[in-house]
Amino acid sequence: MATVRFEGAGKRFGGVDALVDLHLDIEDGELAVLVGPSGSGKTTALRLLAGLESITSGHVWIGDKQVDALPPRDRDIAMVFQDYALYPQMTVYKNLAFGLRMRKVAPGDIDGQVLTAAKTLGLEDLLERRPRELSGGQRQRVALGRALVRQPQVFLMDEPLSNLDAKLRTQTRVEIARIQREFGITTVYVTHDQIEAMTLGRRVAVMRDGRLQQFDSPKGLYDRPANLFVASFIGSPAMNITEGSLEHAGDGLAIAFGDHRLAVGRPESRPDDGIGAYAGRKVLLGIRPEAMADASLALGTPEDRRMTVRVELREDVGSDVYAYFEGGPPVSNPGLAESPTGDDDEAGGNRRRTFVARLSPQSKAREGDAIQIAINDRALFFFDPDTGVRIG
Amino acid sequence: MTGRGDRAVNYVILASFSLIALYPVAGIVLAAFQPPGSAAGGFSLPSELHLANFAEAWTQGHFASYLRSSLIVAVSVVFVSTLVSIMSGYAFGTMTFAGNKVLFYLFLLGLMVPLEGLVIPLYFDLRALSLTDTYWALILPQIGLSVAFGTFWMRAFFLATPRSLIEAAAIDGARRWSILWRVLVPFARPAVLTMMVLIFMWTWNEFLLALVMVSSESLRTAPLGLAFFQGQHVSDVTLLAAGAVIVALPVVVVYIFLQRHFIRGMISGSVVG
Ligand SMILES: Nc1ncnc2c1ncn2[C@@H]1O[C@H](COP(=O)(O)OP(=O)(O)OP(=O)(O)O)[C@@H](O)[C@H]1O
Ligand SMILES: [Mg+2]
Repeated sequence: MATVRFEGAGKRFGGVDALVDLHLDIEDGELAVLVGPSGSGKTTALRLLAGLESITSGHVWIGDKQVDALPPRDRDIAMVFQDYALYPQMTVYKNLAFGLRMRKVAPGDIDGQVLTAAKTLGLEDLLERRPRELSGGQRQRVALGRALVRQPQVFLMDEPLSNLDAKLRTQTRVEIARIQREFGITTVYVTHDQIEAMTLGRRVAVMRDGRLQQFDSPKGLYDRPANLFVASFIGSPAMNITEGSLEHAGDGLAIAFGDHRLAVGRPESRPDDGIGAYAGRKVLLGIRPEAMADASLALGTPEDRRMTVRVELREDVGSDVYAYFEGGPPVSNPGLAESPTGDDDEAGGNRRRTFVARLSPQSKAREGDAIQIAINDRALFFFDPDTGVRIG
Repeated sequence: MTGRGDRAVNYVILASFSLIALYPVAGIVLAAFQPPGSAAGGFSLPSELHLANFAEAWTQGHFASYLRSSLIVAVSVVFVSTLVSIMSGYAFGTMTFAGNKVLFYLFLLGLMVPLEGLVIPLYFDLRALSLTDTYWALILPQIGLSVAFGTFWMRAFFLATPRSLIEAAAIDGARRWSILWRVLVPFARPAVLTMMVLIFMWTWNEFLLALVMVSSESLRTAPLGLAFFQGQHVSDVTLLAAGAVIVALPVVVVYIFLQRHFIRGMISGSVVG
């Protein structure tokens, strides 16, 4: 078991900075997730750690060994590839045994270790099959088994679930979490799926354009996003973002955006904020869809924490009701994550203009209705319009 | 168009091309089975299968000796060039090293220059080494030519092999040598077998080199022997046809024998994910 440390690690491909000055400390036995949109440098970071790519600047440590110059086989790591990379001509048994044989494990011990790993993953009945005779899910488990069997210091996984269907993906995710906990092997897990990242990671590193944005627990990312990018990348549906101006209101502040105005509260009730300094200026405002409630179901919300809106579209998915309405003006800020789910390119433009609220299924709001939305003061996020850094 | 109609058209086209390709071959095979001495030109079915032509050609033409020479040459060439091509294809296909581009084009040159352009200088070179009129004069140049092709062929295959396969093996602790022989070559078996068949065929059928390099009758390869045989029996069509069939048969056998393997291999191993 070992810690993993990136110390200002960087990688250039020709003229492209794939990874810039990455500092990351992963604890012994921790499952850390690297998440970010395509091209953000997640795979590059993982391959630097594996030794499959040479480092351009900085250092990588595994345990107390600086491994920059070590070939992959001397780093005591195991990796699960996106395409599994099983040896096609070998049986499952031989696939699992290959790494042990290459490391000159005594033949007598190989059998025991392979069988133990096979048992952990339920592969006992498949040992004599070849990869082509397995389903996608089974291949995936063989790939996990091949990593597990050597009991390495560090597990590396690059989008290991992306070739599975949705149901299997959830199952395997749980399985990976279980095995990781059971064996306590330090794991670095790469994905572009924020749900996967949030459910699996003890801590999650959000990447963008080769730069680390934030490394924190899932709750930390959700409650205290460092900047506009993390805020808009984490959460589904994505956070509503608009532009507004912070104004003095009595002895507190208020945010005005579109046709709406909400009380922000006294500066002393938001002690970790820097928003006092932004009074009288334009800021970016973020509100999570799930932080909004149908005011008729949230009695007692003060008047200045409500906004009246006209419901343009109601989507009832059973457990929740999604209400779309005109929020504030659209924002096109370079710090914004692009449609993180990636599946609503066309709606994306609209979504920017329209707010979405996740309401209780009891909400009676219908399309065309004017309703009141109640918003908790703590659910308002503020960002510097130039830097995208969260200010409150 | 219905699928059925398309299929019919495809079959007609394929069948007519096969006919064009097979007609002369079938003509020779049929002629070989005609009664000895009959001047069977054209395309007529023999009344009964006469094997006498083969026996006659075999003894008169010394084909036992020619086939033996061909076998010695072809097997050595196939064996050595396959070994070398796999290794050089691996280097060019998976590694970057100083001068790899230049070196590769040098290899390609060997593929592009026709043997006709090389054979005379080659003759003088080999004579200086006193290698003419030995098997070496047939084996060494053909290894050179085959390795040019084989490198090109194996490099293309290794380039198309998923990189993750190599990387997985490297992480599993394999060194380059083991990665090649334990992971890549088993995976590449269909490509290797295909390459071996092609090299075998080309070596077997090589005529010009044998003609220039070899004068002793005991070293004559099958195609060269066949040419001499034809010179002696210009008018005996059935005998010539039998000789031709004897010379061509080994290639056909090798092909049929290996074909099963590489077709099965191609279906099975090519996709990883
Ligand atoms: N071998 C390479 N040669 C040149 N550029 C590369 C190479 N590998 C990666 N890059 C570039 O480096 C950047 C980061 O790539 P990387 O593969 O790390 O992204 P990623 O976060 O894993 O993305 P994805 O989610 O699509 O897998 C990209 O701009 C990519 O084009
Ligand atoms: Mg990637």
